[in-house]
This record gives sequence, C-alpha cells and structure tokens, in this order.
Amino acid sequence: MKMDRRSFIIFSLGAGAGITFSPLPWKLTDDMAIWTQNWPWTPVPPEGVVTHADSVCNLCPGGCGITVRKVGDRVTKIEGREGYQVNNGGICPLGAAGLQLLYGPWRVQSPLRRVGKRGSGQFETISWEDAIDEVVKKLGDLRVKGQASTVACITGLDRGTVPQLFDRFLKAYGSPNFIRTASAGDTYEFALGLMQGATASVGYDLERASFILSFGSGLIEGWGSPVRVIKAHSVWRSGNKKDRATLVQIEPRLSNTAAKADIWYAANPGTEAALALGLAHVIVKGSLYNADFVKNYAFGFEDWNDSKGQNHMGFKSLVLSKYSPEAVSKITGLSAKDIVKLAQDFAKADRPLAVWGRGKGTLPGSLYECMAVHALNALVGNINKPGGVSTRPEVATQAWPEVKQDSTAEVGCSKPRVDGAGSNRYPLTKCLPERWPKEINENGGTIQALLVHEADPFYTTLDSAAVAKAFDRIPFVVSFSSYMDDTAYNADLILPNHQYLERLEDFPTPVGLQKPILGLLQPVVSPQFDTRHVGDVLMTIAKGIGGTVAEAFPWDNYETVLKETMGDKWHTLEKAGYVEADYKPPAWGKAFATPSGKFEFCATAFDKAGMRISKDMDYLPHYQPIQPEGDEATYPLILMPVELIRLADGFIGNPPFCTKTLEATELKGNELFVEVNPKTAADYRLSEGQHAIIETPKGEGKVLVHLSEGIMPGVIGMPKGLGHVGYDDYLAGKGVNVNSLMGVVEDPISGLCATWGIRAKLTSVLS
Amino acid sequence: MSATEEEKKQIVAEGEPAQKHVPGEAAPEPGKPGTWEFLIAIPVFILGVVVCLFVGWVLFPAVLYCEKQQPIDFSHVVHQEAVDEGCESCHFFREDGSFSGIPKLENCSQCHEEAMGEHPEETRLIDEYIEPGKEIPWLVYASQPDCVFFSHAAHINMAELSCGTCHGSIGESDHTRPYQYNILTGYSRDIWGWNIAGIKKNTWDRMKMDDCAECHEEKGTNNACFVCHK
Amino acid sequence: MKEEHQKGHGKTYKYGMVVDLDKCTGCGACMVACMAENNISFRKDDTNKLVSNFWMRVYKISNGLPFPDADISYIPRPCMHCEGHGHHHATPCVSVCPACATDYDHETGIVSQVYTRCFGCRYCMAACPYHARVFNWWDPRWPEGMEKYLSPDVSPRMRGVVEKCSFCFHRLQRARNKAYAEKRREIGEDEYQTACTEACPGGAITFGDLDNPEHKVCKLKDAPGTFRLLEKLGTNPKVYYTTTRDWVQKAADVYVGNEGNGVTPA
Repeated sequence: MKMDRRSFIIFSLGAGAGITFSPLPWKLTDDMAIWTQNWPWTPVPPEGVVTHADSVCNLCPGGCGITVRKVGDRVTKIEGREGYQVNNGGICPLGAAGLQLLYGPWRVQSPLRRVGKRGSGQFETISWEDAIDEVVKKLGDLRVKGQASTVACITGLDRGTVPQLFDRFLKAYGSPNFIRTASAGDTYEFALGLMQGATASVGYDLERASFILSFGSGLIEGWGSPVRVIKAHSVWRSGNKKDRATLVQIEPRLSNTAAKADIWYAANPGTEAALALGLAHVIVKGSLYNADFVKNYAFGFEDWNDSKGQNHMGFKSLVLSKYSPEAVSKITGLSAKDIVKLAQDFAKADRPLAVWGRGKGTLPGSLYECMAVHALNALVGNINKPGGVSTRPEVATQAWPEVKQDSTAEVGCSKPRVDGAGSNRYPLTKCLPERWPKEINENGGTIQALLVHEADPFYTTLDSAAVAKAFDRIPFVVSFSSYMDDTAYNADLILPNHQYLERLEDFPTPVGLQKPILGLLQPVVSPQFDTRHVGDVLMTIAKGIGGTVAEAFPWDNYETVLKETMGDKWHTLEKAGYVEADYKPPAWGKAFATPSGKFEFCATAFDKAGMRISKDMDYLPHYQPIQPEGDEATYPLILMPVELIRLADGFIGNPPFCTKTLEATELKGNELFVEVNPKTAADYRLSEGQHAIIETPKGEGKVLVHLSEGIMPGVIGMPKGLGHVGYDDYLAGKGVNVNSLMGVVEDPISGLCATWGIRAKLTSVLS
Repeated sequence: MSATEEEKKQIVAEGEPAQKHVPGEAAPEPGKPGTWEFLIAIPVFILGVVVCLFVGWVLFPAVLYCEKQQPIDFSHVVHQEAVDEGCESCHFFREDGSFSGIPKLENCSQCHEEAMGEHPEETRLIDEYIEPGKEIPWLVYASQPDCVFFSHAAHINMAELSCGTCHGSIGESDHTRPYQYNILTGYSRDIWGWNIAGIKKNTWDRMKMDDCAECHEEKGTNNACFVCHK
Repeated sequence: MKEEHQKGHGKTYKYGMVVDLDKCTGCGACMVACMAENNISFRKDDTNKLVSNFWMRVYKISNGLPFPDADISYIPRPCMHCEGHGHHHATPCVSVCPACATDYDHETGIVSQVYTRCFGCRYCMAACPYHARVFNWWDPRWPEGMEKYLSPDVSPRMRGVVEKCSFCFHRLQRARNKAYAEKRREIGEDEYQTACTEACPGGAITFGDLDNPEHKVCKLKDAPGTFRLLEKLGTNPKVYYTTTRDWVQKAADVYVGNEGNGVTPA
C-alpha cells in the first residue's frame, strides 16, 4: 500500500481525532503548566520537626537573647528571645540576618594557609594538626629566641572567658600585648576611673530617664545594646504627652536619632565638650545643680587647697569664668538663648541623663569631652540614681588559678607594650588599639606574631594604609575568624572558630547596660564545617608549647573552663541561658574610690598615677578642641563617618539582607554616596548623583554625591561599613572604607583615638 | 460560500466516478481515485484514530510515569497487629499541631533496635538503616507540591474525616505498592489520580486542587486561596 | 459569588496593623525579619529599589525644609491588604488579576498571592498604589549552602511571578494547626503575629483583628489622629499609622511628591 498525500491527510485527521479523545493533550498541557512552576533550581525547603533553641547573639557587644527556629537540623530563623533581660523579644536587622553568616559562602570552612602573596586571597586547605603545629612551632621559636614579648593578640572584647583565655595565654607565654579593639567604652572607663575611682563599665538607666541629652550618640542607630536602646526610646515615646520623655540630640547631621529627637541642635562638630560646659555654666550660675551631691559627695567643685596648701581652681570657677553661653555660642554655633534654655530644661527635668559616645560608640573619643558630659550628670545628681548613670561591674565568676610564669614569661611581660599603653606617657591606659600601627611603622615597635580573635583590625583600624603597612611588617598573622573577613583575608594562617550559633561561650554584660547580666551562647546547630572552638584550639597551642605555658591551662577542654568559671552559676546559666547579678549601684557615700573618696570634678588621680599635669584646668573637664587632621586651605571640608544601624561596621561584615536595606541614596551599584548640604554642593559645583573624588590627608576614594538638607554645610557624611576586601561579591568591593580616609588623632591624656572627623576636599569628576 | 460547502462539492465530484463504475469495466485512469482507494480512506482514518488512541491511552501513561520501589517492603497489616496504639503509634500529631505523617527512623528503632523476627525485610531495615542511623528515604504517595499547605489537624480533628477519605485503604496493605511519579512534574501519581482518564470513583482516587475545592464546597468550608496555598 | 465560596465557619477576622511612626526608628529589622521569614531572595546588587524584592519596605521621607529645619521620618509599608468598599470589595490588585492568582479572603481579610497560579502579567503591580507588589525579574538563587535556612512554611517563588506580603499567612496556618489539634477554632491575639511585628525592637507595629475589641489594634486604629496611606483613593487599606508629626501625616496622602505639602522623598 502506498501512502500518498491524501491518505496521509486522512491518517492525520484520524490521529487528530484519536489524540483528542485520549488523555494525552489534556494531561500534557496540565503537566507542562505544572512543570513551569517547578523549575528544578527553585529550591523546595524540606519539611521536618520544628524545634526552638535559645542562645545569645554576639554580632555586636549588645548581647541580645535570641531564639532560633529549627526545622529538622536546619536553623531557619533567628528571633529576639522573649523575656530575655536585655532585649525581651525584638531583634536588630543584623541579628535577624545572622543565618546568612552561618550558611554563607564567606565562612572559612577549614584551616587555611596562605599560599599566594599576602592579600591575594590565595589559601590552601590544611589539617587542624598541621595548622596548630605551625602556630606552636612559630610561637615556640619566638619564645626560645627571647622574643616572646613581640607576640600580640587583638580581641573584640576583653571580658568573657575566651578573651580572658587569650590574655592568660599571653601572660603565661610572656607578652604584655593583649589588645582589645577600640570603643567609646575605653574613654568612658578611663573617665570613670578618674572621676569615680572605679574599674567598671558605664551603665545607663535609659528606661527611667525623663530627659535624655545625647552628645552625638546614635541612640537608635546601634549605640549601646541596640535593641535595648530602641526599646527605651519607645518607652520615652509612650504614655500621654506630658508623661513622655524628652530627647535632645546634639549632632551636625540629621541622623535617625536627631530626627526622632524632640529637639535637634546641630552644634559644630567637635565642640560637644564646650556645649556641655556651657550648660554646666548655666546650671551652676542658676544654682540648678543637686546641692546635696555637689556639697557632700563631690570634690573639686569649689576651688581647693592641696596638701602643700596650694590653691587650685575648681569646676565652678572654671565653667563660670570660661563657658558663658555667649562664649559657648561662638564655639558651638548654637544661640546663647538655646544654650540657656537647654541647660534649664535639663537641670529641671525629673530624671535628666546626659549620654556620650559618638555614633555607635566605635571610636574612643576625647577624654575631656567625656568628662564634661559626665560632670553634667554629676551636677544634676544622677550618678547611681534611677534614670541616671552608674558604674556597672560584671557578674562575679570563679577566679582562675594564678598563672605560674617562668623566667621567659616574666621577662616578656615586663617589657613595654607595643601600643604604648601603660607607659610613662599613658600610665592609666589599658590598651591603645588604634596606636600600634603607628608604633610599628614609625617608632620601631615590633610584632613578630599577631593573633586575632573576633576582631577585624585590618578593616576597622583607622588609617588603613598605615595598618596595611604595619601588617606587612608582621611576619606571622593568625586569624581565628569564622568568616573570611579583611584580617583573615590578609592573614597567613586561619584557624576558624565555630560560628556563634555553633558554639558554647559566655557573653559578658552588654555594653551600656546598668545591671550585670551574663548570657550564654549555646550551640543551636552542629558545626557546618571543619571548624574548632577557639578556646580548645588556644589550649592545644599552649599545650604544644609546653612548660609553664601548658601548665597555665590545667583544663581538658573549653567546656570545662566555662563550667568551672561559672561555678554554682553554671546550673542557672545552662538552664535559663543567662544569669543576672543582684546589683544595686552603691549609695553616694560608698560609691567613690577616688583619692578624696568623693566624686572628683577635679581628677586628682592624675597625680597618683604620676602624670605630670601642669595647669589646674587639666585636672578638670574642659574644652580642648581635638583638631581634625589636614590644613583648611587644601581640605576645606570636614569628613565625618556616618554610622547606620543597617550597615555593620565592626568585625562582622554586613550580611546581604542588611546591605539590601540600604537606601538608594547610600549605595548605588558598587558605589557609595557621601552626603553633603546643597549649599556646600553649590560651592563646589556638585549635583545630586554625580561622581566625585573625596580626598583627605590619609587617602582618597571615588564616591557619588547625595545632596541632603540634613547635614551641616561644610560637613561631608560618609557611611561606615563598606569597602571590604574580604567576604565576597555580596560585600567586597562595594563602596569605600571610610576608615581608609581617616587618621588617628590621639587624646593628649589617654592616648586613645579621639578622632571624630578629618579635613577633606570633594572634587567633582565627570563620570 | 463557506469552505465546508466547497469541500462537500469536491467530495461529491470525486465520488461521481465511483458511483458510475461498473464491475468488469476497465480500471479508472491512473492517478484518479478508484473505488478501492476510496474505501481505504476509512480504515486509514480509523488506523489514525486507533494508533493515537493507543499512544494516548497506553504508551503515553507508560512513558509519563516512572516507577520506583519503596526502600523497604512495609506491611501495615503486620504492624497494626503488633502496635498498641493503632495508627497513632506511628502517625501522630506533634505538640505544635503539625502531623508526623511518615515516621522517623527513631520511631522504627523503638521496636526494631534488635531484630524481632527473621523477615528478610526487617534484616535489611536493621542493617541498612537502623545500624548506620540513616533515615529511610520513604517515597510519599500523598505528598502535595510545595505550594500547598495541608493541615491534618483541620481535616481529622475539625472536619472529622477518616484517614481513608484521602489515603484509601493503605492502612490495610500487606506490601508497599510501587511509587509512580510524573516525569515532567515530579508529582506522585496519587495526586493526579491513577485513572488516566481522570475518572474518580473514590474520594481518595485523586488529590488535585479541584478535589479539595469540591469537598470544601460541599462542607461549606472557606475556599479562599490562602486556606490551602502557601 | 466570592462571599459564597468563602463561607467559612462563621467566625471571621479582619487582620490589620497599626504602626506608630513615632516609635519607628527606621532600623530596618522588620524588612530583614520579613526577608528571613518569607524566603525572600536577594542579589549581589540590590541597589535598584525599583526591582529589588521587598515585601516590607521602610520608606524614608523628608519634610523638604532646609538645614537645620529638615526632618525625616520612616514609613514601614507592608501590603495594605486593602478591603476596598462596597459589596464586591474592590481590592485594586484582586480586581485586575486575569489569572485569579490573588483573592481577598473574607474570613481573614488577607489578600493572597498564589505564585503557581500567577503568570506574571503584572497588572496587579500597576493597580497597587502602594508599590507593595514585586516581580521576580530573575530566578531566585541563593549562594551555595544558604538555601539551608529556607523555611518550608513559605513556598519559594520562581522567576516571572509577582509576590507580596501575606501578613505572614503561614503563621496563621501554623496557629490554626495548633488550635485544631487542640480542637478549638478561635485564634488568640498572641498566637498569630507577623514576623515584622515580632521583630520590631521598638514595638512600633501592632497586629491583630481590627474588628475584635479585645485586640490592641482595634482600639489603636480608632484613636484620634490615626490615618492610612493614600486614603483618598478609597482602597480602604487595613494598615493604619499614627504620628504626632503633622507633616508626616500630610505626606501620607500625597500622591505625587511636592503636591502642595512640600514633602519629597528623602
């Protein structure tokens, strides 16, 4: 039979009819529709048994309680822990994005050894044994060569068992160079030491304050323990109008805090101390201060005679003579009328509270400025009072046995610190985290080996070029980071710690909290990669070095250390996830351990420490301007870093979710915006969205310009937290690191970094 | 003039020679359709129909669905007799209201930590899964696609449906039947229905959206999208 | 007809939100919590806000005054779950969807979005005056290993479909599941809260049944000075706002920037 055209058509007609009456076309259409909904690359998250586990977030010093939701063995969500004494539910954007850090490709998945040039990002995977051997050998050699004191260690915090293990390691090993990264807490602790004789951190009773005067603190932008402070802000905003607290913000830029404030005063940047003293002037002159406190519990308010009978100026004389509203008006740019009004409102408020620490409090700042603000608190008598400021100790834990040092350790530890802290020049300073690069680059300081834990000094230390140069002179850099942060990227060896959701560790009292509370990081998920607990690794290294170094660590593992340290508190800690100490700030009569036994407006502790103070004024909080680097003619503008709550700028790189939430006027593609006032922009012929080169004495970068009426003319605001080299394309290469444009201006007394800005120029470029 | 009328005319015109054709006369000129050629058109048509019906009803389903065997040949009958709490021994509500449909390995281990008998499937269970602590990769007949949220609690506790309404008589099976799935969509055949024509005799024959909606309609239950979708 | 096929079991809810803009600090925790809760994808470059995927978006607005009188405010914007007016409840997006991929649930007051049904015509996006809907221009992809945190409660979307805030509807499904397991039908206020509400460190968001006088939102929404966004359009949204700042309230009903109130996007 021949199949001609006709029969083919007839056959096809039949086929058509047949197929129509079969399920094929209908089913196929349906299935294809369903198929288009099921691309194989669209993930289908597996179901599983849902459980919850509690832990503590350690992504910033805020230490919020968190609850994770797990499906099977996967963690699918981080939420604020209800009832936790810090944040009580509620979470910040960074904390909520924590899982991106856990499961992200920026994790260091196993010990790595650098193979390429430093900073090229080329590493090879090595075994834990080899990695530890390498550290043991290197540190052992240095010790044998009598160079133990050239080992330094940088950690994020200095409280808590793990940082203490590092401290102990150095003590036993023979190095004085335990450095914690910088924060405003450094300066505040210094000021509390001087004025109150206390070795403690500062605690603010924000919730109960009724008039909050903030000297540039980004209260709702990550300052202190972020969720707790935002919650306090909501307390201020609750109730009917007359019950509501008043928030006054002093800042040259309309930050979120300034926008939320009842009154925003844009004082000239760097003049905060003058303003505080001007307010003190009005308070003293109008006798608005707490007379009981000032008369009975304070020293140095009035003029005083020393043991030699020499007369010295008191705080009262100083502020009355030098800081009249008119004089302060000239410095700060605020009107004398506003200064008087603000001082009166502050002093007359029920529970006034002045808070200090610029932005998120990531830079130490000026000592006298801190003292001036603290003096304001003293004047209104809110020290250790409800709604006031207090010294806050840590939850007491079991002390470890004394470190038995061999002669090498003794000799090493007696050597001067590489950062100059504790020297004759800075006898009262514990560490100078922003200073060591300078010591290495300029003053012949030496670090032969640097151990870095939960810190990213390569990124966060000001003057990145100097930091990179100093790093070049350190032959051996070891990072214990869980992430490929900038320091890890530039390290020789990475011994990755378990990530915070994978490990057990204590978390000391969150910064700024008025009550001691110790939280517990618990492993809520099994380690995802070949990582080890840094506590265990450090002890293994110590045991490898042997001798008294090994003997300093008589524990089997970190868990034992933690349990022993917590003693009888362990049970509660394990069960509740935190322990709270029953602490009430001492009454004024017992609160001050200064030479006078009183609160000292005039810090005589300087004498005790053997510091040579030449002028009376230098004992007192006074306005000593910290001049930004650079000459005005070349650099007519002032660059100030802007800290955003949606942009992590510490040792944690911003996770993608947070970067996504940045405004379109903060980041565009891989370029960041600097904020300038339209007036300034007009002066330099800059327009919205155009490219410009920002140049400071320390470096330059290409940026985009955003015009904003929220920033003082003459000031450039630049987001802090971008310009990473580590992590990966979700963060690396985005924007410019503002730290690379900033320099370190040292506080003349504390030596801490008092930088608040730097002179800069902005030149338009054709894009 | 419509195309169909034209066609008819053509057919009539073509049909004429056939009608005039007398047996014994010379065959029609080559190239012109003759009687037998006309007759063959019907079987060709029917052949087309038959071939495609065969393709559509027999070949297509055979190609469309792949078959897999369950990892263990499980007998509900045997287990029903052995357990104390009936179906709930293995299929139960968790505290949060979710339903533990497919038991976890630990459920099995509760009884089968040590061999209870000599059945080769049990030996395999212990050797391959319980000993190494590996979850059994059961193939779930009734697994709905990812876009569906199904609440057992709503159907069992509130609507008081029996398990069999959707799952049929699986609880009485002595062997696991093969798991068939659609190669295009990856869905279990139990969802689309075993009858390729989509004919549904029992409530458990098919579990597509319309089947859910039908029952919701009957029972006066909300049929908004977000009742069942996620 | 809709009313008929959504008869339900008698008890109806009208879920909605009241956002206290005085307490909102613009921290963005709601946005991140929402993204983490709802398996929302992200990209290496997410700076083009017209195409980046947010269900909850915090808008920053400014009063447009010169320094130092400038002021800014933040307005968190989830889906408004518009009720519309009249018998047919003309929710703008629902009324234009040719695929019936979105509907207004009369039992909960929640506007759904069914991704497997949507074919991506984006009529709904054009209809929504709040920019609450987003289109998946790209395949949602997670860096290797990161799909581990995806929640099975929310179905990941595919390229070419529209998605939006669901008031964390899966959380209601979860709450219902629990209630049903305990043989009860009513869902308590605490049992169902959205992820953004829970995450907000300032407690600025209150969520609940707008019709239930025992729920906090019910009282808050009736407080003087409460307003909704673009109220004049008659979309009848279920997200309410409060603020003590007049300019912010004025801005809320401005359709185009600079429409007489001197308000501009910051």
